[in-house]
Amino acid sequence: MRAFRSLAFAAALAALPALAVAAPPMKDGHPDLSGFWDLDARVPRDAALMKRIAPNTAVLDDTGPVEFPRGEYGGLKLKPAAKAAADAWNPKDDLTVAKVCQPPSIIYAMQGPFPIRIDQGRDIVVIRLQYYDMVRIVFTDGRKHLPASAPHTKVGDSIGHWEGDTLVVDTDHLEPSTITNNGLDHSENVHVIERFRLSPDGRTLLSTQEFDDPQTLDNRGARFVAWKKLDGQFLEPYDCDPSFALNYGSGKPR
Amino acid sequence: MAGLGKRPMAALAGGLALLAGAAEAHHSFAVFFSADKDVIPLTGTVTEFHFTNPHGIIKIIVSGAGKADQDWSIETNSPSILIRRGWNKDIIKVGEVIKVQGWPARDGSNYMRLRDATRADGTPIGSKPAGTP
Repeated sequence: MRAFRSLAFAAALAALPALAVAAPPMKDGHPDLSGFWDLDARVPRDAALMKRIAPNTAVLDDTGPVEFPRGEYGGLKLKPAAKAAADAWNPKDDLTVAKVCQPPSIIYAMQGPFPIRIDQGRDIVVIRLQYYDMVRIVFTDGRKHLPASAPHTKVGDSIGHWEGDTLVVDTDHLEPSTITNNGLDHSENVHVIERFRLSPDGRTLLSTQEFDDPQTLDNRGARFVAWKKLDGQFLEPYDCDPSFALNYGSGKPR
Repeated sequence: MAGLGKRPMAALAGGLALLAGAAEAHHSFAVFFSADKDVIPLTGTVTEFHFTNPHGIIKIIVSGAGKADQDWSIETNSPSILIRRGWNKDIIKVGEVIKVQGWPARDGSNYMRLRDATRADGTPIGSKPAGTP
């Protein structure tokens, strides 16, 4: 019996390193989100994050490599002007040298099938996107948003704080850009709340993205987005080449 | 279609369309390409290969039996994604014969979105099909 107990104790000790490795990494008292993350649309929605989404919100089912066809908005209720603009949208107008390399805002970019890299500091979190080489800086030092007169950009102005194990990122000052890739754009007054947390083993980054744009929508929109951690990987440069636009429709009979 | 992720095919039938790779801000796969139609095969001689984002372009001449030669342009997934699938800027050479399968443009032009590509002898180009997420 004593031998059996010794064996069981030894087995338990042997398991400890594995348990330690499985725990999420910590930094400055918070989960450390740092690393190279590759979008994975197969990750089930995280119940803890989903239940924090506000009422009257349409959760879009287009994360990653799936798009809505023309006229489908996943439950978003469009204002008449937004609907008219989407109906009038001619996608070929955007396939021009002047436009084809314009990035979307973070609302569309964060859900695309591209990896991101996060470097987390005490007072800032840097989120770099492979998509269009975008760089986001999230200030977690307690500052307020920029004044209303500050310029709007595709990454906007992001401030963040921790709620338990969850990083909450609040973004405004966004330039008008894509919501769904079929002609529906948000306005410059859109407001975005993102929540990021790690899976218990620290290998999956779970998030929700909520956006509110009363100028465009009668309800709110949200997405669930998740990434898998890959070790030893680096972002590839995007270096968008606008001459791509010249190739569309270039094939023809001789 | 391989690599669809969490959504079953029934979801596609319900109104969603598969984007065969990277989504661009305004370059919608669903709007430009017919994912609901069968992919089409082509065999041709490469005249140009551009490996730049947002999409690579392969241009080929297709010589059909008894038909005039046709110029085709084949749009690839984002090169920044294809690099992780074993592609690089030299993986396809001008003058070589390749076989491709892809989704045709909705407007009927000689333009398609690449699903997969092989050498003339059937050897796959890249380590995974180019058009799966």
